[in-house]
Amino acid sequence: MTGEPLLSVRDLVVRFDTPQGEVHAVNGVSLDVGAGETVGLVGESGSGKSVTSLAVMGLLPAPAGRIASGRILFDGTDLIGVPERDLRKLRGKDVSMVFQDPMSSLNPVITIGEQVTEILRAHEQIGKADARTRAADLLRQVGIPNANEQLGRFPHQFSGGMRQRVMIAMALALHPRLLIADEPTTALDVTIQAQVLELLVGLTRDLGTALLLISHDLGIMARVTRRIAVMYAGFVMETAATPELFANPRHPYTVGLLNSVPAIDDRGKALRPIEGAPPDLEEAPVGCPFAPRCAWRVEECWTTMPPLRTVTATPDGSGIEHAAACHNPVRAEEVRGAAPQRPGFVPAPPPATGATVSLGSASSEGTP
Amino acid sequence: MTDAPMLEVKDLRVHFPITQGVVFRKTIGTVRAVDGVTLDIRRGETVGLVGESGSGKTTIGRAIVRLYAPTAGTVVFEGTDLATLKGADTKKITARLQMVFQDPYSSLDPRMSVGKCIDEPLRVHRTGTKAERRARVEELLGTVGLPARMATRYPHELSGGQRQRVGLARALALRPSLVVADEAVSALDVSIQAQIINLLQRLQREFDLTYLFIAHDLAVVRHISDRIAVLYMGQVVESAPTDMLHDDPLHPYTIALLSAIPRPDPEIEARRKHIVLSGDPPSPALPPPGCRFHTRCWLRQKLGNPERCETEAPALASVAPEHAVACHFTDEVRSSAERDAVRLGAPPAQA
Repeated sequence: MTGEPLLSVRDLVVRFDTPQGEVHAVNGVSLDVGAGETVGLVGESGSGKSVTSLAVMGLLPAPAGRIASGRILFDGTDLIGVPERDLRKLRGKDVSMVFQDPMSSLNPVITIGEQVTEILRAHEQIGKADARTRAADLLRQVGIPNANEQLGRFPHQFSGGMRQRVMIAMALALHPRLLIADEPTTALDVTIQAQVLELLVGLTRDLGTALLLISHDLGIMARVTRRIAVMYAGFVMETAATPELFANPRHPYTVGLLNSVPAIDDRGKALRPIEGAPPDLEEAPVGCPFAPRCAWRVEECWTTMPPLRTVTATPDGSGIEHAAACHNPVRAEEVRGAAPQRPGFVPAPPPATGATVSLGSASSEGTP
Repeated sequence: MTDAPMLEVKDLRVHFPITQGVVFRKTIGTVRAVDGVTLDIRRGETVGLVGESGSGKTTIGRAIVRLYAPTAGTVVFEGTDLATLKGADTKKITARLQMVFQDPYSSLDPRMSVGKCIDEPLRVHRTGTKAERRARVEELLGTVGLPARMATRYPHELSGGQRQRVGLARALALRPSLVVADEAVSALDVSIQAQIINLLQRLQREFDLTYLFIAHDLAVVRHISDRIAVLYMGQVVESAPTDMLHDDPLHPYTIALLSAIPRPDPEIEARRKHIVLSGDPPSPALPPPGCRFHTRCWLRQKLGNPERCETEAPALASVAPEHAVACHFTDEVRSSAERDAVRLGAPPAQA
């Protein structure tokens, strides 16, 4: 990447206060999105990918969620501590967001037309009639037929795919510089998902809007993104250019994830699931959170979380560095078998002392 | 295999009335959730049922295990027509016919401990003494990869993957021969999903199970199934052995589905062309006349919208042994560039 990234998240730490205790949702995430770039954030439930994006938008549920430390630089300005009034101006105009479930992000008792014009009128000085014309144009742009007629209808009269189109129209209404899309197609059927994905990518490309796409679906990541960050238990485990990440994964978690997905073109391939389950985020992380499930773990993994370190500076000439947070990265020949192939290597047993046995809850998920 | 299929579904129809009014209830329409589905499952095989929401796949599964009464058609299981069953016979048969549901959060009773939950079918079917049943529960927990101490836990204490294992143990309690798995892995994270898929395959080998595997995710279905039936709006549009469906798809909808699935491989994604279907599936209360897929069919558009698709419903016809397709224009499908584009996404045929 050349010059300053549009969005730069630095060492972000997010905590949630719950009656059961503190939840360690995000534990020091750094992430860049360049102007016009499409970046993917991939991870399973509880990996902190959505929380990271909500923190960027300043939408963490108050008072439970709070940014404990870190910086969120948007175009050079730190968004943390910016008063809500100023954030409101930014949201929608410079940064906007599309959520997974369009039914719960649209107001069910207000017409689509009112909801779309509301955005335009909140940020721009335009009259009602003009706003309505613009709204109809926007709906047309996202492929909604009979746009003028549709403005008078309510969200429940639209199908899931159409609602998501409305959300995209609203999110891109003011030509923001960054769009965060959190599982935008997860709730949709696969043929509708293809429509919405195509629309999202096409429109952001045409408008020059950067796209931060959050998904658990590696297939979507492969189709759409230029660069990917893989998250686990509130940490970024690995980041690389998309083709590089799929071809040469170095972090054991990424390798496990790739080996867990049934590939439609490769039926004979046995699935190699990651044994165990993700850690309990109510425990403060000690060491690498993936250690209890990792076949490559060494002694250090139980005590120290390694920082994201460059594995290959620019592997494919794309200028995107490949970095992994791992003490003992996977070697190329070990990827397919999803296990270390080094004579005499044994995954380090957990430390004997009772104090650090708080790591994860990998007790019983794995098939014995 | 020459013996009779284990399960024969013939011309199954399940229609739901749409009613209006509270006091004076009247029927104002019918949702044809399943509209003439014929399906055979042989002993020991896994048949996959794919389709999008509203395609009727869940309804078929539920009609088979008698959670819904079919409007028409027959379901014959191990030689017995399920519609003719009464009283005690029903119990005997249903013990051999079990179901695993999608949502492990809502399919387990939150007030029942895991042990009680797995014990329930044993109790209902009066199998064994208390001590025998306890031993069986413990054995079942071990079978699905859970420690015996889990028996005292409650569903809310378990993770999604663990709950799905409990659901499986419960389904296996009565030693069924056929298990209908309805989106059994859809709600799980990929790393956990892979664990459960592997578990399902191991259990099948160990207990000679036959599966009807219902899911919307064609990649998962392909991984686990021997044969696949593709559903669209309550009807089977194509059915074939798994590899044939993938290598030689003949229905425009199957091709669109294959094309729509994002592959976890950027190289394939970069060279693949996608068929993006226009529009939403029509309402199942008002299915389009003729071929139900005609309103969204890419091939029909390409052929200049032939009238036949709108007026005449194509029958599911055999094109090769075990391969049946419901389309008027299979030859045109075969020679289409779209089909080649989808197939080119796959690695070159094995040497």
